[in-house]
Amino acid sequence: MQLSSRPFSLSSPTSPATHQLVEPLSEPEARIHATLIEEVERQQSTSAPHMSQDHQVRWQGLGVFCSTFVTIFLAELGDKTQVTTLLMSAESQSPWMVFTGAALALITTSLLGVLVGRWLANRLSPKALETAAGAALLLVSVSLLWDVVHF
Amino acid sequence: MDWHLLGLSFITIFLSELGDKSQVAAIALSGSSKSPRAVFFGTAAALILASLLGVLLGHGAAHLLPTRLVKAIAALGFALMAVRLLWPSADLPSDAEVS
Repeated sequence: MQLSSRPFSLSSPTSPATHQLVEPLSEPEARIHATLIEEVERQQSTSAPHMSQDHQVRWQGLGVFCSTFVTIFLAELGDKTQVTTLLMSAESQSPWMVFTGAALALITTSLLGVLVGRWLANRLSPKALETAAGAALLLVSVSLLWDVVHF
Repeated sequence: MDWHLLGLSFITIFLSELGDKSQVAAIALSGSSKSPRAVFFGTAAALILASLLGVLLGHGAAHLLPTRLVKAIAALGFALMAVRLLWPSADLPSDAEVS
């Protein structure tokens, strides 16, 4: 009983993806599978965002996260928000309460910023949006340089 | 729990950060990016870490960090992002090629 049921349980694993791989294929079916796999591999190698879209979006997201994090972190170091937090926490008896309030405020402002950005993205054409975003970033860059010169 | 202090620091930082350059950057980046969630997490994490450093280091922070150099690097980073956005890109239908 156990022996006879064993190969059966092996050939039907829980995930359907591995099920397809393990199951023996008939001749034409195997050919279809081979061409499908070939197609997927070709698309991945030419980085066409079709089958591997999930993967690509995830890596793109990581890149966006890192570049956003680094630039904004560097821009905010020694900026007035950091100085305000610093002074308030130094004055008060409970610096962690000041930090919590500051962190909540910063989360709220960045959430508001992202929501406004999405709202604008839905209203403007992609080209106009890219130009506006580029101009805004240039403005930020110039204002930072202004801070550097007139410190 | 000192709710008064919490509220005070929240309102102070919120008002000082509203419309500040990091929020402008967040608007610009999230509008033009395909992953606004990553922009949100990146912005929030950077701001929180910056203020955490402020709390931890206290007054030493201003002397410890070459603020001007750091700001200049950040300015360069934003300028690079701006150029990348303004550069006529291949992946968009170039309707503005005439201009």
